[in-house]
Amino acid sequence: MPAPIRLRELIRTIRTARTQAEEREMIQKECAAIRSSFREEDNTYRCRNVAKLLYMHMLGYPAHFGQLECLKLIASQKFTDKRIENGNNDTDLIIEMCRDLAGEVEKLLKTSNSYLRKKAALCAVHVIRKVPELMEMFLPATKNLLSEKNHGVLHTSVVLLTEMCERSPDMLTHFRKLVPQLVRILKNLIMSGYSPEHDVSGISDPFLQVRILRLLRILGKSDDDSSEAMNDILAQVATNTETSKNVGNAILYETVLTIMDIKSESGLRVLAINILGRFLLNNDKNIRYVALTSLLKTVQTDHNAVQRHRSTIVDCLKDLDVSIKRRAMELSFALVNGNNIRGMMKELLYFLDSCDPEFKADCASGVFLAAEKRWVLQNPTINAGSYVRDDSVPNLIQLITNSVEMHAYTVQRLYKALLDDISQQPLVQVASWCIGEYGDLLVSGQCEEEEPIQVTEDEVLDVLEGLLVSNLSAPVTRGYSLTAIMKLSTRFSSVNRIKKVVSIYGSSIDVELQQRAVEYNALFKKYDHMRPALLERMPIMEKTATNGPTEIVQTNGETESSALDSKHPPSITQPTNQANDLLDLLGGNDVPVIQTALPTKPASAGGELLDLLGDLSLSGGPTPAPAPSVPISQTPFLLDGLSSQPLFNDTAAGIPPMTAYNKNGLKIEFTFERSNPNPNISVITIHASNSTEADMTDFVFQAAVPKTFQLQLLSPSSNIVPALNQGSVTQVIRVLNPQKQQLRMRIKLTYTLKGAPVQDLAEVNNFPPQSWQ
Amino acid sequence: MMRFLLLFSRQGKLRLQKWFLPMTEREKKKIIRDMTTMVLARKPRTCNFLHWRDLKIVYKRYASLYFCCGLEDQDNELLALEVLHRYVELLDKYFGSVCELDIIFNFEKAYFILDEFLMGGEIQETSKQSIAKSIEASDMLQETMEEYMSKPAF
Repeated sequence: MPAPIRLRELIRTIRTARTQAEEREMIQKECAAIRSSFREEDNTYRCRNVAKLLYMHMLGYPAHFGQLECLKLIASQKFTDKRIENGNNDTDLIIEMCRDLAGEVEKLLKTSNSYLRKKAALCAVHVIRKVPELMEMFLPATKNLLSEKNHGVLHTSVVLLTEMCERSPDMLTHFRKLVPQLVRILKNLIMSGYSPEHDVSGISDPFLQVRILRLLRILGKSDDDSSEAMNDILAQVATNTETSKNVGNAILYETVLTIMDIKSESGLRVLAINILGRFLLNNDKNIRYVALTSLLKTVQTDHNAVQRHRSTIVDCLKDLDVSIKRRAMELSFALVNGNNIRGMMKELLYFLDSCDPEFKADCASGVFLAAEKRWVLQNPTINAGSYVRDDSVPNLIQLITNSVEMHAYTVQRLYKALLDDISQQPLVQVASWCIGEYGDLLVSGQCEEEEPIQVTEDEVLDVLEGLLVSNLSAPVTRGYSLTAIMKLSTRFSSVNRIKKVVSIYGSSIDVELQQRAVEYNALFKKYDHMRPALLERMPIMEKTATNGPTEIVQTNGETESSALDSKHPPSITQPTNQANDLLDLLGGNDVPVIQTALPTKPASAGGELLDLLGDLSLSGGPTPAPAPSVPISQTPFLLDGLSSQPLFNDTAAGIPPMTAYNKNGLKIEFTFERSNPNPNISVITIHASNSTEADMTDFVFQAAVPKTFQLQLLSPSSNIVPALNQGSVTQVIRVLNPQKQQLRMRIKLTYTLKGAPVQDLAEVNNFPPQSWQ
Repeated sequence: MMRFLLLFSRQGKLRLQKWFLPMTEREKKKIIRDMTTMVLARKPRTCNFLHWRDLKIVYKRYASLYFCCGLEDQDNELLALEVLHRYVELLDKYFGSVCELDIIFNFEKAYFILDEFLMGGEIQETSKQSIAKSIEASDMLQETMEEYMSKPAF
């Protein structure tokens, strides 16, 4: 049938009628058309038809059947229904219709018929959701909304006000003045006697109460005055509501949420948390669930108050209900702090072991994160290994490095886990890393916490090689195990086997593996002397930025924020990080080795050195092959890397300084420090001073040590030693003394004094015993 | 606001579906499938709340029917239980000791009662009597309308 005509058309047509009869005829015809249109249930033109009916009604013609359609129209979502289905090109159509209809709705908001008014209010809500700009249109109509007697209209009005306040800060400010009125309405509801019409188990219109509480929450948030105006009523509701039935608890729940969100006084907040605590003990599971959810929201702001209920929360971990368990788990992680870590960890690890698989991922990650914030991971969670998220692997590794005393125990347990099962990638990665690091502890069988197991080097290598060939291993895991095997070359004696493995993978299809293998091969062949130093034990790493599940673990109510500044990249590629703390890249086996450090002069034959070491910055990339064998000069990059590390942690207490050289006005003093963490390294600072009248320019200090030592010379502060002791040149020497032999040094000094070059050699033997023991 | 309300039997047969937000057929089917699977899988003495996507799901079992609704984040779950209960009470008042069969054979009435109680995902009337009166009135209107329709235009 043809599209119904528009209202304007109808009006025009009717106005052309010259007689009453003619008019009646036109109306009849249009009515019939409208009736058929309605019968067809075609929603498209309902709007138009209803508008026409209204007009006809205004003219005095009966249009009762239109009323129903009118109601249907307002009640339907037609302007959005089906339209969305057809795609975005109809969005404009929707907005158009919304605008058209908004006018109608606004009018209806003011009708005397409360039945229509409540529906109009909810319509307005949806119009605003669709087209927020139309909010202004309804503003005048809202003036008297709250003076309603009819609960239906009142309820929908509150919903409308809530919607407006949520969407527009201006509206929010505007409606703040309604707080006293809302408080009054709420008070009446509570104080009024039994009202059969609205009663639910002894409570008067709980639906309205809850909606008012919710609106109050929005109005009181971040506003002191409004919050203060509500304090009393909130306290009243909180204390007077019957809690024997679900209804009362629903109201209490909303009240608690409101109290926590507004700027309530502390007494009220404590009351709210106590209510939640009571909820936690309730037999009704729904209420316990709701309590846990609310506590999770409030644990940030009122941490201490929530801590009081910690034991109840931990008990909820044992609940049979999955929803409750999950909430309890999240809340438990949020509550872990320095004081309760031991107990909490025990509970949480027990939970991890016994919980359903769907929890394990989050729980394991949460455990790692919580442990990382505190201390020792006592019980690596083996079972959950596979469920742990990938980003936990570096975190866990860092944790393990830091818990020095646990190394033997950790590697042993991880090794055992590997024997059982190599399918869980994160676990395998952590395990192979640990074996690579602490393999020597593993085979030596030293472990206090558990029964030491007898493991041979071959067995360990079997396991690691097994990982390399297994189909279950991800490429990343293979990388880990290859590196681990390589590391063991300095810890195990079966080097040949390792060499073979490494050389095989030099032709691996996997590019990453191939690169590693080739580099390690090079390490064996050309730079074998560097291998021990390069593959040395990892130092304790700096704290990394936690990037775990932030919704699980938050700041546990403490002011200590973990040192989350610079993100230290996961130091998985071993040699990269080794370089940072590396004592001596340039140590050689030749004796004596003359070390020179020049302040600005770039490496001559050390071109490669520059490039390679340039990569060995803190950005963990694929490791380039280590430096050439000829030790030349230091490079700026290396220095950078070194200087970022805390070189001088503790000054070695009480090692007296000594004068190494004192001739012709040049005096060189040595001061000592021990470098943590490696006690085999002595750090010597030379102070060169000049007591002659002229400056010593082009001052170069060189030193050599016997074969068993390794030495590294850093840049001097300058190469001019000012005259008359006006200043000194300082330079740092680092000596690696693994065999703890007596330190001896030969030094060579060159400088220019009054235009004449001076050169001198000397031997330094008077090192104090403490400096090398 | 409530996003949807579903009624389904213990065998997973859908008896009533009310959607308060426009959705494609495909989405609706997915939601129905997910809800029935999730809710029917729940053990007897567990709590009535679930999490699904970004919604809170509240369900309650009345005899052989599951009443299941999806709420937004801000909504009060305990109150939703009351809403479901209120709807059942309304049905009960209208049909007199309502059972699943009543809803099966008179589904349009069930929808109508729902439309009087909830609109656009929110409660529009909190008084049981008001709703009962409205339903009576529209029942009458329906009859009048049918009468009207069958008569020739005046």
